[in-house]
Amino acid sequence: MASVQPKIKSKVRCVDGEIGEIVHVIADPISLEVSHIVVRANGTQRQVPVATIAAVRDDSVELLCNAAQVSGFPEHRPEDFLTSKQVEIPHLENKVHVEPGDLLVPFPVLEKSCARRNFFAGFIHVIGALIGLPLVWPVLRFIMAPMYAPYDNRWLKIGNVSKIKTEDVGVQFIFKKSFKDSVLQREEDKNHWVVKATPETLKKVYPQGDISFTDEKGDVIWVNKQTVPYVAFAGKCPHLGCGFKWRTHKKLGQVFLCPCHLSIYDNSGKVLDGPAPRPLDVLPIKVSATGEIEIIDVEYKSGKKELVRIA
Amino acid sequence: MMPLLQKVYDFVDERIDLKTLEAKMMKEPIKGGSRWAYVFGSVLLFIFIMQAVTGVLLMFYYIPSADHAYASTQFIIHEVDYGWFILSYHFWGSSAMVVMVFAHMSQVFLWGAYKSPREMIWLVGLALFGIVMAFGFTGYLLPWDQRAYWATTVGVEIMDKTPIVGDFMARFLKGGPTPGQMTLSRFFVIHVMVLPGALMGLAGLHLFLFRSAGPAGPFRGTPEELKAKTDFFFPRQVWKDIVAMAAVFLTISSLALIEPVVLLEEAKPDPGDYHPEPEWYFLFLFQLLRWKIFSGELGQFLGATAIPAAFMLLLAALPFIDRGPERNIFKRPIALLSWTVVMIGILVLTVSAIINREFLD
Amino acid sequence: MSHPATTISSVKLAWALSWAAFWTGFPFKMIVALLLLAAQIHPWEGAGLIALLALSVPIDIWALGLTARTFFLERMGIEVRGPVGIGLWWQGAVLGVATLGVAYYAVGATAAVCQKATAATLELVNKIIPIPVAEQITIELLMWAVPTTIVAIIFLLIGLKLFGWRIKRFAVASGQTSSAGLQERVREWDDWRVPADPILMLVSFTAVVVLLTVAFWVLLPVTTTHRHPDYPPPPTDAVKKKVKPEELLKKTDASLAKAEAVLEMLEKEKAKEKKKPVGPGK
Repeated sequence: MASVQPKIKSKVRCVDGEIGEIVHVIADPISLEVSHIVVRANGTQRQVPVATIAAVRDDSVELLCNAAQVSGFPEHRPEDFLTSKQVEIPHLENKVHVEPGDLLVPFPVLEKSCARRNFFAGFIHVIGALIGLPLVWPVLRFIMAPMYAPYDNRWLKIGNVSKIKTEDVGVQFIFKKSFKDSVLQREEDKNHWVVKATPETLKKVYPQGDISFTDEKGDVIWVNKQTVPYVAFAGKCPHLGCGFKWRTHKKLGQVFLCPCHLSIYDNSGKVLDGPAPRPLDVLPIKVSATGEIEIIDVEYKSGKKELVRIA
Repeated sequence: MMPLLQKVYDFVDERIDLKTLEAKMMKEPIKGGSRWAYVFGSVLLFIFIMQAVTGVLLMFYYIPSADHAYASTQFIIHEVDYGWFILSYHFWGSSAMVVMVFAHMSQVFLWGAYKSPREMIWLVGLALFGIVMAFGFTGYLLPWDQRAYWATTVGVEIMDKTPIVGDFMARFLKGGPTPGQMTLSRFFVIHVMVLPGALMGLAGLHLFLFRSAGPAGPFRGTPEELKAKTDFFFPRQVWKDIVAMAAVFLTISSLALIEPVVLLEEAKPDPGDYHPEPEWYFLFLFQLLRWKIFSGELGQFLGATAIPAAFMLLLAALPFIDRGPERNIFKRPIALLSWTVVMIGILVLTVSAIINREFLD
Repeated sequence: MSHPATTISSVKLAWALSWAAFWTGFPFKMIVALLLLAAQIHPWEGAGLIALLALSVPIDIWALGLTARTFFLERMGIEVRGPVGIGLWWQGAVLGVATLGVAYYAVGATAAVCQKATAATLELVNKIIPIPVAEQITIELLMWAVPTTIVAIIFLLIGLKLFGWRIKRFAVASGQTSSAGLQERVREWDDWRVPADPILMLVSFTAVVVLLTVAFWVLLPVTTTHRHPDYPPPPTDAVKKKVKPEELLKKTDASLAKAEAVLEMLEKEKAKEKKKPVGPGK
């Protein structure tokens, strides 16, 4: 009996009269055809096999058996079924024309035990961890490999002091820096500022006396002596890393001025105005007998009050 | 914590009917029950995801320039922490992908699962097969060592011999008359942008069609048996899938450890001591071209392009030619015989290509 | 009525069990193999092989037991109590060693004879019609590999037949026919896959996974063990000179003194130059 389409709430008539109405329709999930109708008669729900149906009319279904035989069919147990809304059976709802909520399919016996379902679900996560966890550390290290490169403590020649004509004035030194950038050997134009400081300015540059510079391990690699008049300022604004300039300010006179956020520093690097959190960064400097200036291209994290070396 | 999670779940459920979505995604009854034979599709998805992950990681360091591709690949192998492992995993992952594609196609073929109403899934699957092979071919060039350069050169030369469109296709891939930076750029873009996009789209369609048509189920068994073993996609099939994924993950990792990627010399227009050879899964075709009947321009076209293309067309036409409802492979002698012959043919030619190496030194 | 065990082919039975048991044990063995490999120990030779084989034995016994009991119950309707895995495993192992041993020599001998015969035949053929190298390779391969494969398959079938016969004996001797219906039997073997205490099992399994993962992290080499011969070797940490602040200061003072002297000279020169007209300069 192909594609019988009983409707919900249809009256059910036996050979000996009406006995109740259809409350659910059960479909076979393999053949996608109606296998049973669930009939409510005298307060109990019974599963009537589709073979018992003689005819399906607009609002009623006629059975081949009598009322007594219907009472002999097994009682409907809702826990053994799922509505077609709760599962995915392709084409089922196209083949059986019943509202998804009223269309039932048998609950697979193997899926009835919640404990077993939970165990397998748990196991899926454990195996997932077996795949994912071993990769976490290697992938992290892979990504991090160049992130914490060692400091570059080379001395770089940036120019000659003869370029400085006046004391307490910022002079820009542009120089070529060559370095290894992953696999590339690159050369970049960098710039720092050198001030030939008068003793008063020097005192402001070195308020705590000599400044020592350290490597990653904290070992001292150089000490800037407070009596050396040549002071090199890193060309990177300590606020957010812009490039600052030596300009004449209407009120403050000659100053280092950062065009990005208008941080203003005096010739000792002290902050006069603007958002900068700390004075200009002093670089390790040495001046050779011939006046050649050498610096270590130390770089500090911007935006911080304290000095945090990053390169 | 749990009430919060519950709240979040309820919030989403209220808006997108998560419960129904979950039911439709997870609670798909599998007639005849979940099986280990059904894991290949999921395993392929897993391998692809891992290729995407390792591929993205490699792109953190790789430089697609003819001057730096080789150096940056060497850098990944020698300088970057665990770089050798990630690269070798990606390399072996591609082989695993090809092996699994063959396994998946074989399973579908032997199970007769390409038959009505699943013809469209099969067709999209064939397109995916082509994409996987294209992945292998384009990825092979990127390290820019001798092996990479020569496999590509020969591969493109073969394509060049296709009548009418061959010259255009070869120039399109090379980005000029001879291989160079444009070739590398094109292969790189195809490998990391075009193919992943195409694969994701088609794999999505493949899955959508599969879900719409429903799984084919076993090719034999009484309805009683099928019903007795029926379970849901989740958790039974998913758990089998993930165990298979773990086995594949362990195998690929082991291969990466046994035979990590070691580059040859940087690519140059003189192969030197190196005997150009494609990746192993193209070896059978490569060996075919050494035969006398496939020599000459026409022969080469026949062996390298026409016969594979005709074979793919035959596969595409298969569900429309083979319309019998019988799915049991033991009752489809022609299908079983053809599959065996093709598999043995590929095996014999591949082994021949390996033996052939002895005659080159 | 014939016993359900007698209706199934021995070869099929043995194949089904061996195939399923092999794949059941495979992921576990792969974990061991991967850890060995990460530790730079080859699992196919020496201590690595011994370790892998030793660990494979309990895995195989468990896998064979599980798959056999499932197969017996579902396909043959036989319930076997007691240790199934070990009872079958030792028989399989003995048979496997014996068959493999004989097969090794038989297949090896067949291959050797066939290769010689093939070579001789082809030499003869080549005198009449020369065959190109590539074709000859494939023909030669087919000529000796086909008979060799047939011999190998025959030995595989013999091995399976013998193992199947032992499995049947085992099932009949120690099993009882189950009266349960198919659905009940399927549900029963499905139950075996879930331990009595799932939470304990999951937690301990997770702990093992975490432990193995940490071992993997510790063992996996950070840099490649297969360095390219032309790639520059890793830089050995050069011994750094320790900088002593006092010395440094002294040096600075000295160089500064020098610089100041030079500078003074320059200034003097400048003073002289000032008398000349000043050119454009920075």
